[in-house]
Amino acid sequence: MRARIVVHALLAGYALISLYPFLLMVSGALKDSREILLDGHFLPSDPTLSTLARTWSELHFFTYFGNSLIVTGFTTLGVLVVYSLAGYAFAVLPFPGRRPLYGMFLSLLFVPGVTVLLPVVILQQKLGLIGTFPGIILPFVNGTAPLSIMLLTNSFRAVPGELKESARCDGAGELRTFWSIYLPVSRPALITVALLTAVPTWNEYVLTRVSLNDASRYTLPLALQNLNSSTAPQENVLMAASLIIVIPVIILFVLLQRYFVNGLQGAVKG
Amino acid sequence: MAARVRSRQALTGYVFVLPAVALFAVMGVYTVGYGLALSFARWNGFTPYWTWVGVGNYLDLIYRDPTIAPIVQGAAVRTVVVMIAQPVLTVLISFPLAVALNRITLLRAAFRTVFFLPQVTAGIALYYAWSYALQPDGSLNFILRHLGLGTIAQPQGWLGNPATALPTLIVVAVFGAVPVAMLLYLTGLQSIDQSVIDAARVDGAGGLRTMTSVVWPLLLPITGAVVVLNLRDALQGFSQTLLMTNGGPGGHTLVLGLESYNLAFFSGLKPTLGLSSALGWILFVIALLLAAVNLRALRSRA
Repeated sequence: MRARIVVHALLAGYALISLYPFLLMVSGALKDSREILLDGHFLPSDPTLSTLARTWSELHFFTYFGNSLIVTGFTTLGVLVVYSLAGYAFAVLPFPGRRPLYGMFLSLLFVPGVTVLLPVVILQQKLGLIGTFPGIILPFVNGTAPLSIMLLTNSFRAVPGELKESARCDGAGELRTFWSIYLPVSRPALITVALLTAVPTWNEYVLTRVSLNDASRYTLPLALQNLNSSTAPQENVLMAASLIIVIPVIILFVLLQRYFVNGLQGAVKG
Repeated sequence: MAARVRSRQALTGYVFVLPAVALFAVMGVYTVGYGLALSFARWNGFTPYWTWVGVGNYLDLIYRDPTIAPIVQGAAVRTVVVMIAQPVLTVLISFPLAVALNRITLLRAAFRTVFFLPQVTAGIALYYAWSYALQPDGSLNFILRHLGLGTIAQPQGWLGNPATALPTLIVVAVFGAVPVAMLLYLTGLQSIDQSVIDAARVDGAGGLRTMTSVVWPLLLPITGAVVVLNLRDALQGFSQTLLMTNGGPGGHTLVLGLESYNLAFFSGLKPTLGLSSALGWILFVIALLLAAVNLRALRSRA
Protein backbone atom coordinates (compact mmCIF):
# COMPACT_ATOMS: atom_id res chain seq x y z
CA MET A 1 0.00 0.00 0.00
CA ARG A 2 2.73 2.43 0.95
CA ALA A 3 4.71 1.49 -2.13
CA ARG A 4 1.70 2.31 -4.28
CA ILE A 5 1.44 5.76 -2.73
CA VAL A 6 5.12 6.39 -3.42
CA VAL A 7 4.66 5.32 -7.04
CA HIS A 8 1.67 7.58 -7.49
CA ALA A 9 3.48 10.48 -5.85
CA LEU A 10 6.44 10.00 -8.20
CA LEU A 11 4.19 9.94 -11.25
CA ALA A 12 2.19 12.94 -10.06
CA GLY A 13 5.44 14.82 -9.53
CA TYR A 14 6.61 14.20 -13.07
CA ALA A 15 3.15 14.97 -14.41
CA LEU A 16 3.46 18.39 -12.78
CA ILE A 17 6.84 18.92 -14.46
CA SER A 18 5.33 17.85 -17.81
CA LEU A 19 2.49 20.30 -17.41
CA TYR A 20 4.63 23.13 -16.06
CA PRO A 21 5.34 24.95 -19.35
CA PHE A 22 1.70 24.66 -20.41
CA LEU A 23 0.46 25.99 -17.09
CA LEU A 24 2.88 28.89 -17.55
CA MET A 25 1.45 29.60 -21.00
CA VAL A 26 -2.05 29.74 -19.54
CA SER A 27 -0.91 31.82 -16.57
CA GLY A 28 1.07 34.25 -18.74
CA ALA A 29 -1.66 34.59 -21.36
CA LEU A 30 -4.24 35.46 -18.70
CA LYS A 31 -2.13 38.28 -17.23
CA ASP A 32 -2.51 41.87 -18.41
CA SER A 33 0.40 43.96 -19.68
CA ARG A 34 1.01 45.49 -16.28
CA GLU A 35 1.01 42.35 -14.18
CA ILE A 36 3.24 40.43 -16.59
CA LEU A 37 6.11 42.77 -15.65
CA LEU A 38 5.93 41.81 -11.98
CA ASP A 39 7.70 38.79 -10.51
CA GLY A 40 6.92 35.20 -11.48
CA HIS A 41 3.73 34.85 -9.47
CA PHE A 42 1.82 31.94 -10.88
CA LEU A 43 -1.82 32.92 -10.42
CA PRO A 44 -2.87 36.07 -12.27
CA SER A 45 -4.42 38.47 -9.78
CA ASP A 46 -6.91 39.74 -12.33
CA PRO A 47 -7.20 37.12 -15.10
CA THR A 48 -8.24 38.52 -18.48
CA LEU A 49 -8.94 37.07 -21.90
CA SER A 50 -8.17 40.36 -23.61
CA THR A 51 -4.53 39.42 -24.35
CA LEU A 52 -5.64 36.27 -26.13
CA ALA A 53 -8.32 38.16 -28.05
CA ARG A 54 -5.92 40.94 -29.03
CA THR A 55 -3.28 38.43 -30.21
CA TRP A 56 -5.86 36.60 -32.30
CA SER A 57 -7.39 39.64 -34.00
CA GLU A 58 -5.16 42.73 -33.84
CA LEU A 59 -1.91 40.80 -34.22
CA HIS A 60 -3.45 38.80 -37.09
CA PHE A 61 -2.94 35.40 -35.56
CA PHE A 62 -6.06 34.20 -37.36
CA THR A 63 -4.19 34.80 -40.64
CA TYR A 64 -1.14 32.91 -39.42
CA PHE A 65 -3.37 30.15 -38.13
CA GLY A 66 -4.86 29.88 -41.62
CA ASN A 67 -1.39 29.81 -43.19
CA SER A 68 -0.34 27.04 -40.83
CA LEU A 69 -3.49 25.11 -41.69
CA ILE A 70 -2.78 25.43 -45.42
CA VAL A 71 0.84 24.32 -45.12
CA THR A 72 0.05 21.46 -42.72
CA GLY A 73 -3.03 20.36 -44.66
CA PHE A 74 -1.38 20.21 -48.06
CA THR A 75 1.77 18.60 -46.69
CA THR A 76 -0.31 15.87 -45.04
CA LEU A 77 -2.46 15.37 -48.13
CA GLY A 78 0.64 15.20 -50.32
CA VAL A 79 2.29 12.65 -48.05
CA LEU A 80 -0.81 10.44 -48.00
CA VAL A 81 -1.27 10.47 -51.77
CA VAL A 82 2.36 10.11 -52.84
CA TYR A 83 3.48 7.56 -50.26
CA SER A 84 0.38 5.38 -50.16
CA LEU A 85 0.82 4.90 -53.92
CA ALA A 86 4.51 4.15 -53.43
CA GLY A 87 3.84 1.91 -50.44
CA TYR A 88 1.32 -0.07 -52.47
CA ALA A 89 3.87 -0.60 -55.22
CA PHE A 90 6.54 -1.64 -52.72
CA ALA A 91 4.20 -4.02 -50.92
CA VAL A 92 2.11 -5.54 -53.68
CA LEU A 93 3.49 -4.93 -57.16
CA PRO A 94 6.69 -6.79 -57.98
CA PHE A 95 8.89 -4.75 -60.34
CA PRO A 96 12.60 -4.91 -61.13
CA GLY A 97 14.63 -2.65 -58.85
CA ARG A 98 12.02 -2.63 -56.12
CA ARG A 99 14.30 -3.51 -53.20
CA PRO A 100 17.16 -1.08 -53.97
CA LEU A 101 14.64 1.69 -54.53
CA TYR A 102 13.02 0.96 -51.17
CA GLY A 103 16.44 1.00 -49.51
CA MET A 104 17.25 4.31 -51.15
CA PHE A 105 14.17 5.92 -49.64
CA LEU A 106 14.95 4.57 -46.19
CA SER A 107 18.55 5.81 -46.39
CA LEU A 108 17.13 9.33 -46.52
CA LEU A 109 16.47 8.82 -42.81
CA PHE A 110 20.15 9.33 -42.06
CA VAL A 111 20.52 12.67 -43.83
CA PRO A 112 20.54 15.40 -41.18
CA GLY A 113 18.13 18.24 -41.87
CA VAL A 114 20.87 20.82 -41.55
CA THR A 115 22.94 19.11 -44.27
CA VAL A 116 20.30 19.71 -46.94
CA LEU A 117 18.84 22.93 -45.54
CA LEU A 118 20.97 25.27 -47.64
CA PRO A 119 20.68 23.23 -50.88
CA VAL A 120 16.89 23.14 -50.44
CA VAL A 121 16.77 26.93 -50.13
CA ILE A 122 18.99 27.34 -53.21
CA LEU A 123 16.74 24.92 -55.09
CA GLN A 124 13.68 26.93 -54.05
CA GLN A 125 15.34 30.00 -55.52
CA LYS A 126 16.15 28.24 -58.79
CA LEU A 127 12.60 26.97 -59.13
CA GLY A 128 11.18 30.37 -58.23
CA LEU A 129 9.47 28.85 -55.21
CA ILE A 130 11.24 30.78 -52.48
CA GLY A 131 8.76 32.47 -50.18
CA THR A 132 5.83 30.39 -51.46
CA PHE A 133 3.86 27.64 -49.76
CA PRO A 134 4.74 24.99 -52.39
CA GLY A 135 8.39 25.87 -51.77
CA ILE A 136 8.18 24.51 -48.23
CA ILE A 137 5.47 21.89 -48.75
CA LEU A 138 7.51 19.90 -51.31
CA PRO A 139 10.58 19.44 -49.06
CA PHE A 140 8.32 18.73 -46.09
CA VAL A 141 6.60 15.95 -48.04
CA ASN A 142 9.91 14.50 -49.17
CA GLY A 143 11.28 14.72 -45.63
CA THR A 144 8.66 12.29 -44.35
CA ALA A 145 9.39 9.75 -47.10
CA PRO A 146 11.37 7.18 -45.08
CA LEU A 147 8.92 6.93 -42.21
CA SER A 148 5.75 7.14 -44.33
CA ILE A 149 6.93 4.59 -46.87
CA MET A 150 8.03 2.21 -44.15
CA LEU A 151 4.78 2.39 -42.17
CA LEU A 152 2.51 2.21 -45.23
CA THR A 153 4.45 -0.56 -46.96
CA ASN A 154 4.33 -2.66 -43.79
CA SER A 155 0.63 -2.03 -43.43
CA PHE A 156 -0.16 -2.95 -47.07
CA ARG A 157 1.97 -6.08 -46.77
CA ALA A 158 -0.18 -7.22 -43.88
CA VAL A 159 -3.31 -7.18 -46.05
CA PRO A 160 -4.27 -10.82 -46.81
CA GLY A 161 -3.57 -11.76 -50.44
CA GLU A 162 -7.00 -13.43 -50.79
CA LEU A 163 -8.62 -10.02 -50.64
CA LYS A 164 -6.61 -8.94 -53.64
CA GLU A 165 -7.33 -12.18 -55.49
CA SER A 166 -11.07 -11.89 -54.94
CA ALA A 167 -10.99 -8.30 -56.17
CA ARG A 168 -9.13 -9.53 -59.26
CA CYS A 169 -11.77 -12.14 -59.92
CA ASP A 170 -14.41 -9.44 -59.73
CA GLY A 171 -12.51 -7.71 -62.52
CA ALA A 172 -11.09 -4.84 -60.45
CA GLY A 173 -8.02 -3.13 -61.90
CA GLU A 174 -4.93 -2.18 -59.91
CA LEU A 175 -6.12 1.31 -59.07
CA ARG A 176 -9.53 0.00 -58.04
CA THR A 177 -7.98 -2.68 -55.79
CA PHE A 178 -5.73 -0.07 -54.23
CA TRP A 179 -8.53 2.42 -53.69
CA SER A 180 -11.38 0.25 -52.53
CA ILE A 181 -9.56 -2.57 -50.72
CA TYR A 182 -6.09 -1.59 -49.53
CA LEU A 183 -6.77 1.99 -48.48
CA PRO A 184 -9.87 1.27 -46.36
CA VAL A 185 -8.21 -1.71 -44.66
CA SER A 186 -5.12 0.37 -43.84
CA ARG A 187 -7.01 3.27 -42.34
CA PRO A 188 -5.19 3.11 -38.98
CA ALA A 189 -1.79 3.31 -40.68
CA LEU A 190 -2.97 6.20 -42.84
CA ILE A 191 -4.16 8.10 -39.76
CA THR A 192 -0.84 7.41 -38.03
CA VAL A 193 1.13 8.70 -41.01
CA ALA A 194 -1.12 11.75 -41.23
CA LEU A 195 -0.53 12.57 -37.57
CA LEU A 196 3.21 11.95 -37.65
CA THR A 197 3.33 14.33 -40.61
CA ALA A 198 0.90 16.98 -39.44
CA VAL A 199 2.24 17.59 -35.94
CA PRO A 200 5.92 18.20 -36.80
CA THR A 201 4.85 20.26 -39.84
CA TRP A 202 2.63 22.41 -37.63
CA ASN A 203 5.57 22.99 -35.26
CA GLU A 204 8.31 23.34 -37.93
CA TYR A 205 10.43 26.43 -37.66
CA VAL A 206 13.87 26.24 -39.28
CA LEU A 207 13.14 25.69 -42.98
CA THR A 208 10.09 27.94 -42.77
CA ARG A 209 12.21 30.66 -41.25
CA VAL A 210 14.78 30.70 -44.04
CA SER A 211 12.18 30.24 -46.81
CA LEU A 212 9.25 32.50 -46.08
CA ASN A 213 10.11 36.17 -46.19
CA ASP A 214 6.74 37.87 -46.60
CA ALA A 215 5.00 38.43 -43.26
CA SER A 216 1.58 37.82 -44.81
CA ARG A 217 2.60 34.20 -45.47
CA TYR A 218 4.07 33.51 -42.02
CA THR A 219 3.01 30.34 -40.27
CA LEU A 220 2.30 30.42 -36.53
CA PRO A 221 5.86 29.56 -35.37
CA LEU A 222 7.31 32.36 -37.52
CA ALA A 223 4.68 34.82 -36.34
CA LEU A 224 5.55 33.98 -32.74
CA GLN A 225 9.27 34.39 -33.39
CA ASN A 226 8.54 37.69 -35.12
CA LEU A 227 6.66 38.92 -32.04
CA ASN A 228 9.61 38.01 -29.86
CA SER A 229 12.09 39.91 -32.03
CA SER A 230 9.98 43.06 -32.06
CA THR A 231 11.23 46.05 -30.08
CA ALA A 232 9.36 45.39 -26.86
CA PRO A 233 8.16 41.80 -26.71
CA GLN A 234 5.56 41.25 -24.01
CA GLU A 235 5.53 37.89 -22.34
CA ASN A 236 1.76 37.78 -21.96
CA VAL A 237 1.34 38.19 -25.72
CA LEU A 238 4.07 35.60 -26.38
CA MET A 239 2.35 33.11 -24.08
CA ALA A 240 -1.04 33.80 -25.67
CA ALA A 241 0.48 33.16 -29.10
CA SER A 242 2.13 30.00 -27.79
CA LEU A 243 -1.22 28.75 -26.52
CA ILE A 244 -2.75 29.34 -29.95
CA ILE A 245 -0.04 27.08 -31.39
CA VAL A 246 -0.22 24.24 -28.88
CA ILE A 247 -3.96 23.96 -28.24
CA PRO A 248 -4.90 22.42 -31.63
CA VAL A 249 -2.06 19.89 -31.30
CA ILE A 250 -3.05 18.94 -27.77
CA ILE A 251 -6.68 18.42 -28.82
CA LEU A 252 -5.60 16.31 -31.80
CA PHE A 253 -3.29 14.25 -29.63
CA VAL A 254 -5.81 13.61 -26.86
CA LEU A 255 -8.41 12.48 -29.40
CA LEU A 256 -6.14 10.26 -31.47
CA GLN A 257 -3.37 9.19 -29.13
CA ARG A 258 -3.42 5.50 -29.87
CA TYR A 259 -2.45 6.23 -33.48
CA PHE A 260 0.51 8.31 -32.29
CA VAL A 261 1.60 5.58 -29.94
CA ASN A 262 1.36 2.84 -32.58
CA GLY A 263 3.20 4.99 -35.10
CA LEU A 264 6.09 5.85 -32.82
CA GLN A 265 6.49 2.24 -31.77
CA GLY A 266 6.39 1.11 -35.40
CA ALA A 267 8.88 3.78 -36.39
CA VAL A 268 11.47 2.66 -33.86
CA LYS A 269 10.97 -1.07 -34.31
CA GLY A 270 11.23 -0.79 -38.09
CA MET B 1 -0.26 -14.91 -70.05
CA ALA B 2 1.64 -14.98 -66.74
CA ALA B 3 4.47 -12.99 -68.29
CA ARG B 4 2.04 -10.40 -69.56
CA VAL B 5 0.46 -10.05 -66.12
CA ARG B 6 3.89 -9.68 -64.59
CA SER B 7 5.06 -7.02 -66.99
CA ARG B 8 1.81 -5.14 -66.57
CA GLN B 9 2.23 -5.29 -62.80
CA ALA B 10 5.79 -4.01 -63.10
CA LEU B 11 4.62 -1.14 -65.29
CA THR B 12 1.86 -0.27 -62.80
CA GLY B 13 4.47 -0.47 -60.04
CA TYR B 14 6.64 2.12 -61.78
CA VAL B 15 3.67 4.40 -62.31
CA PHE B 16 2.72 4.11 -58.62
CA VAL B 17 6.20 4.98 -57.31
CA LEU B 18 6.77 7.70 -59.91
CA PRO B 19 5.55 10.69 -57.85
CA ALA B 20 7.64 9.61 -54.85
CA VAL B 21 10.72 9.01 -57.00
CA ALA B 22 10.35 12.32 -58.85
CA LEU B 23 10.12 14.22 -55.57
CA PHE B 24 13.02 12.22 -54.17
CA ALA B 25 15.16 12.94 -57.22
CA VAL B 26 14.63 16.69 -56.94
CA MET B 27 14.40 17.22 -53.17
CA GLY B 28 16.65 14.35 -52.07
CA VAL B 29 19.27 13.32 -54.62
CA TYR B 30 19.74 16.77 -56.12
CA THR B 31 20.03 18.59 -52.79
CA VAL B 32 22.36 16.01 -51.26
CA GLY B 33 24.56 16.07 -54.37
CA TYR B 34 24.51 19.85 -54.53
CA GLY B 35 25.49 20.09 -50.86
CA LEU B 36 28.34 17.64 -51.35
CA ALA B 37 29.68 19.56 -54.35
CA LEU B 38 29.37 22.86 -52.52
CA SER B 39 31.36 21.48 -49.59
CA PHE B 40 34.41 21.48 -51.89
CA ALA B 41 33.97 25.08 -53.01
CA ARG B 42 34.05 28.63 -51.73
CA TRP B 43 30.96 30.74 -52.38
CA ASN B 44 29.00 33.53 -50.74
CA GLY B 45 25.71 32.85 -52.50
CA PHE B 46 25.79 35.96 -54.68
CA THR B 47 28.75 35.70 -57.05
CA PRO B 48 28.06 33.78 -60.26
CA TYR B 49 30.91 31.29 -59.84
CA TRP B 50 32.19 28.92 -57.19
CA THR B 51 35.91 28.76 -56.38
CA TRP B 52 36.96 25.13 -56.03
CA VAL B 53 39.09 24.50 -52.96
CA GLY B 54 39.12 20.70 -52.75
CA VAL B 55 39.04 19.50 -49.15
CA GLY B 56 40.10 22.99 -48.01
CA ASN B 57 36.80 23.66 -46.26
CA TYR B 58 37.11 20.51 -44.20
CA LEU B 59 40.68 21.38 -43.18
CA ASP B 60 39.67 24.96 -42.37
CA LEU B 61 36.87 23.74 -40.14
CA ILE B 62 38.94 21.17 -38.30
CA TYR B 63 42.19 23.06 -37.68
CA ARG B 64 43.43 25.40 -40.41
CA ASP B 65 41.38 28.57 -40.31
CA PRO B 66 42.44 30.76 -37.35
CA THR B 67 38.97 32.24 -36.79
CA ILE B 68 36.61 29.40 -37.76
CA ALA B 69 38.49 26.37 -36.40
CA PRO B 70 38.49 27.45 -32.72
CA ILE B 71 34.75 28.19 -32.93
CA VAL B 72 34.08 24.79 -34.49
CA GLN B 73 36.27 23.03 -31.93
CA GLY B 74 34.42 24.71 -29.06
CA ALA B 75 31.09 23.80 -30.64
CA ALA B 76 32.29 20.21 -31.09
CA VAL B 77 33.17 19.91 -27.40
CA ARG B 78 29.74 21.23 -26.40
CA THR B 79 28.04 18.91 -28.89
CA VAL B 80 29.87 15.94 -27.36
CA VAL B 81 28.83 17.07 -23.87
CA VAL B 82 25.19 17.15 -25.02
CA MET B 83 25.61 13.77 -26.75
CA ILE B 84 26.74 12.23 -23.47
CA ALA B 85 24.44 14.00 -21.04
CA GLN B 86 21.19 13.88 -23.00
CA PRO B 87 20.97 10.08 -23.54
CA VAL B 88 22.15 9.30 -20.01
CA LEU B 89 19.69 11.65 -18.32
CA THR B 90 16.86 10.55 -20.60
CA VAL B 91 17.41 6.90 -19.69
CA LEU B 92 17.77 7.72 -15.97
CA ILE B 93 14.43 9.52 -15.94
CA SER B 94 12.34 7.55 -18.43
CA PHE B 95 13.15 4.04 -17.21
CA PRO B 96 11.95 4.51 -13.59
CA LEU B 97 9.01 6.50 -14.91
CA ALA B 98 7.97 3.65 -17.20
CA VAL B 99 8.41 1.10 -14.40
CA ALA B 100 6.23 3.22 -12.12
CA LEU B 101 3.62 3.71 -14.84
CA ASN B 102 3.56 -0.03 -15.50
CA ARG B 103 2.85 -0.71 -11.81
CA ILE B 104 -0.37 1.24 -11.57
CA THR B 105 -3.76 0.78 -13.18
CA LEU B 106 -5.57 3.75 -11.71
CA LEU B 107 -4.93 6.90 -13.78
CA ARG B 108 -2.41 5.15 -16.03
CA ALA B 109 -3.93 6.45 -19.27
CA ALA B 110 -4.20 9.97 -17.84
CA PHE B 111 -0.56 10.00 -16.75
CA ARG B 112 0.58 8.67 -20.08
CA THR B 113 -1.30 11.40 -21.91
CA VAL B 114 0.19 14.12 -19.72
CA PHE B 115 3.72 12.71 -19.99
CA PHE B 116 3.39 12.74 -23.74
CA LEU B 117 2.42 16.38 -24.21
CA PRO B 118 6.02 17.67 -24.41
CA GLN B 119 6.59 15.40 -27.41
CA VAL B 120 3.69 16.53 -29.60
CA THR B 121 4.09 20.19 -28.72
CA ALA B 122 7.87 20.28 -29.19
CA GLY B 123 8.63 23.53 -30.92
CA ILE B 124 8.91 27.26 -30.56
CA ALA B 125 5.90 27.67 -28.25
CA LEU B 126 7.28 25.23 -25.73
CA TYR B 127 10.80 26.71 -25.93
CA TYR B 128 9.46 30.20 -25.33
CA ALA B 129 7.46 28.98 -22.34
CA TRP B 130 10.67 27.53 -20.89
CA SER B 131 12.58 30.73 -21.64
CA TYR B 132 9.83 32.62 -19.83
CA ALA B 133 10.18 30.32 -16.81
CA LEU B 134 13.98 30.63 -16.80
CA GLN B 135 14.19 34.44 -16.90
CA PRO B 136 15.82 36.41 -14.05
CA ASP B 137 12.40 37.26 -12.56
CA GLY B 138 10.78 34.16 -14.02
CA SER B 139 8.75 31.43 -12.45
CA LEU B 140 11.62 29.04 -11.67
CA ASN B 141 13.61 31.55 -9.62
CA PHE B 142 10.36 32.58 -7.94
CA ILE B 143 9.61 29.00 -6.92
CA LEU B 144 13.16 28.42 -5.67
CA ARG B 145 13.11 31.59 -3.56
CA HIS B 146 9.79 30.63 -2.02
CA LEU B 147 11.01 27.15 -1.20
CA GLY B 148 13.91 28.70 0.70
CA LEU B 149 16.31 27.70 -2.07
CA GLY B 150 17.08 31.28 -3.05
CA THR B 151 20.79 30.52 -3.16
CA ILE B 152 20.27 28.26 -6.19
CA ALA B 153 18.23 30.90 -8.00
CA GLN B 154 19.98 32.51 -10.94
CA PRO B 155 19.73 36.32 -10.77
CA GLN B 156 21.04 36.58 -14.36
CA GLY B 157 18.48 34.06 -15.53
CA TRP B 158 19.24 30.39 -16.17
CA LEU B 159 20.02 31.02 -19.81
CA GLY B 160 21.86 34.29 -19.15
CA ASN B 161 24.56 32.83 -16.95
CA PRO B 162 27.32 31.25 -19.09
CA ALA B 163 27.85 28.53 -16.46
CA THR B 164 24.23 27.36 -16.34
CA ALA B 165 23.08 28.01 -19.93
CA LEU B 166 24.25 24.75 -21.54
CA PRO B 167 23.19 22.47 -18.64
CA THR B 168 19.79 24.19 -18.64
CA LEU B 169 19.38 23.61 -22.38
CA ILE B 170 20.27 19.95 -21.87
CA VAL B 171 17.61 19.59 -19.18
CA VAL B 172 15.01 21.14 -21.48
CA ALA B 173 16.08 18.78 -24.26
CA VAL B 174 15.78 15.81 -21.91
CA PHE B 175 12.30 17.02 -20.98
CA GLY B 176 11.45 16.75 -24.68
CA ALA B 177 13.13 13.35 -25.09
CA VAL B 178 11.58 11.56 -22.11
CA PRO B 179 8.11 10.95 -23.64
CA VAL B 180 9.24 8.72 -26.51
CA ALA B 181 11.80 6.93 -24.34
CA MET B 182 9.20 6.28 -21.65
CA LEU B 183 6.77 4.96 -24.22
CA LEU B 184 9.36 2.56 -25.64
CA TYR B 185 10.25 1.29 -22.17
CA LEU B 186 6.57 0.88 -21.37
CA THR B 187 6.07 -1.25 -24.48
CA GLY B 188 9.10 -3.30 -23.50
CA LEU B 189 7.88 -3.81 -19.95
CA GLN B 190 4.51 -4.98 -21.19
CA SER B 191 6.14 -7.58 -23.41
CA ILE B 192 8.12 -9.14 -20.55
CA ASP B 193 6.65 -12.47 -19.52
CA GLN B 194 5.30 -12.19 -15.97
CA SER B 195 6.60 -15.72 -15.20
CA VAL B 196 10.20 -14.50 -15.58
CA ILE B 197 9.60 -11.92 -12.88
CA ASP B 198 7.76 -14.44 -10.69
CA ALA B 199 10.69 -16.84 -11.00
CA ALA B 200 13.08 -14.15 -9.80
CA ARG B 201 10.74 -13.47 -6.89
CA VAL B 202 10.67 -17.16 -5.96
CA ASP B 203 14.46 -17.15 -6.00
CA GLY B 204 14.25 -14.50 -3.32
CA ALA B 205 15.03 -11.40 -5.38
CA GLY B 206 13.48 -8.22 -3.97
CA GLY B 207 11.73 -5.55 -6.05
CA LEU B 208 14.87 -3.54 -6.71
CA ARG B 209 16.97 -6.63 -7.35
CA THR B 210 14.42 -7.91 -9.88
CA MET B 211 14.58 -4.55 -11.63
CA THR B 212 18.35 -4.34 -11.87
CA SER B 213 19.19 -7.96 -12.65
CA VAL B 214 16.16 -9.18 -14.59
CA VAL B 215 14.14 -6.35 -16.12
CA TRP B 216 16.98 -3.95 -16.98
CA PRO B 217 19.02 -6.59 -18.91
CA LEU B 218 15.90 -7.71 -20.78
CA LEU B 219 15.24 -4.14 -21.87
CA LEU B 220 18.79 -3.41 -23.03
CA PRO B 221 17.77 -3.34 -26.71
CA ILE B 222 15.28 -0.61 -25.86
CA THR B 223 17.93 1.32 -23.98
CA GLY B 224 20.03 0.98 -27.13
CA ALA B 225 17.26 2.45 -29.26
CA VAL B 226 16.71 5.31 -26.80
CA VAL B 227 20.42 6.11 -26.72
CA VAL B 228 20.71 6.14 -30.51
CA LEU B 229 17.65 8.35 -30.95
CA ASN B 230 19.06 10.83 -28.48
CA LEU B 231 22.57 10.71 -29.90
CA ARG B 232 21.18 11.60 -33.29
CA ASP B 233 19.05 14.35 -31.87
CA ALA B 234 21.94 15.79 -29.85
CA LEU B 235 24.26 15.65 -32.85
CA GLN B 236 21.96 17.27 -35.40
CA GLY B 237 19.29 19.16 -33.52
CA PHE B 238 19.72 22.85 -33.04
CA SER B 239 16.31 24.50 -33.29
CA GLN B 240 15.88 24.51 -29.51
CA THR B 241 19.27 26.19 -29.06
CA LEU B 242 18.57 28.60 -31.91
CA LEU B 243 15.31 29.72 -30.34
CA MET B 244 16.27 29.75 -26.66
CA THR B 245 19.80 31.19 -26.68
CA ASN B 246 20.93 31.46 -30.32
CA GLY B 247 24.29 30.14 -29.13
CA GLY B 248 24.66 32.74 -26.37
CA PRO B 249 25.60 34.01 -23.91
CA GLY B 250 28.92 34.73 -25.57
CA GLY B 251 28.89 31.54 -27.64
CA HIS B 252 28.59 29.30 -24.57
CA THR B 253 25.78 27.21 -26.05
CA LEU B 254 26.92 27.14 -29.67
CA VAL B 255 26.68 23.57 -31.04
CA LEU B 256 27.76 22.18 -34.42
CA GLY B 257 24.31 22.15 -36.05
CA LEU B 258 23.77 25.78 -35.13
CA GLU B 259 27.23 26.75 -36.40
CA SER B 260 26.45 25.14 -39.77
CA TYR B 261 23.17 27.05 -39.86
CA ASN B 262 24.91 30.34 -39.03
CA LEU B 263 27.60 29.77 -41.68
CA ALA B 264 24.86 29.18 -44.25
CA PHE B 265 22.45 31.98 -43.44
CA PHE B 266 24.07 34.57 -41.19
CA SER B 267 27.46 35.33 -42.66
CA GLY B 268 26.45 38.22 -44.86
CA LEU B 269 28.70 38.42 -47.91
CA LYS B 270 31.47 36.23 -46.51
CA PRO B 271 32.06 33.12 -48.66
CA THR B 272 31.13 30.58 -45.98
CA LEU B 273 28.46 28.51 -47.76
CA GLY B 274 31.01 25.82 -48.63
CA LEU B 275 32.13 25.70 -45.02
CA SER B 276 28.54 25.28 -43.92
CA SER B 277 28.03 22.40 -46.35
CA ALA B 278 31.26 20.74 -45.27
CA LEU B 279 30.19 20.95 -41.63
CA GLY B 280 26.80 19.48 -42.58
CA TRP B 281 28.61 16.58 -44.28
CA ILE B 282 30.80 15.98 -41.25
CA LEU B 283 27.61 15.67 -39.19
CA PHE B 284 26.14 13.34 -41.83
CA VAL B 285 29.17 11.05 -41.73
CA ILE B 286 29.15 10.92 -37.92
CA ALA B 287 25.43 10.06 -38.04
CA LEU B 288 26.13 7.22 -40.49
CA LEU B 289 28.93 5.87 -38.31
CA LEU B 290 26.66 5.92 -35.25
CA ALA B 291 23.97 4.10 -37.21
CA ALA B 292 26.47 1.48 -38.37
CA VAL B 293 27.78 0.91 -34.83
CA ASN B 294 24.21 0.58 -33.62
CA LEU B 295 23.29 -1.92 -36.32
CA ARG B 296 26.35 -3.96 -35.51
CA ALA B 297 25.57 -3.98 -31.80
CA LEU B 298 22.02 -5.13 -32.53
CA ARG B 299 23.22 -7.89 -34.90
CA SER B 300 25.79 -9.23 -32.47
CA ARG B 301 23.14 -9.51 -29.80
CA ALA B 302 20.64 -11.31 -32.00
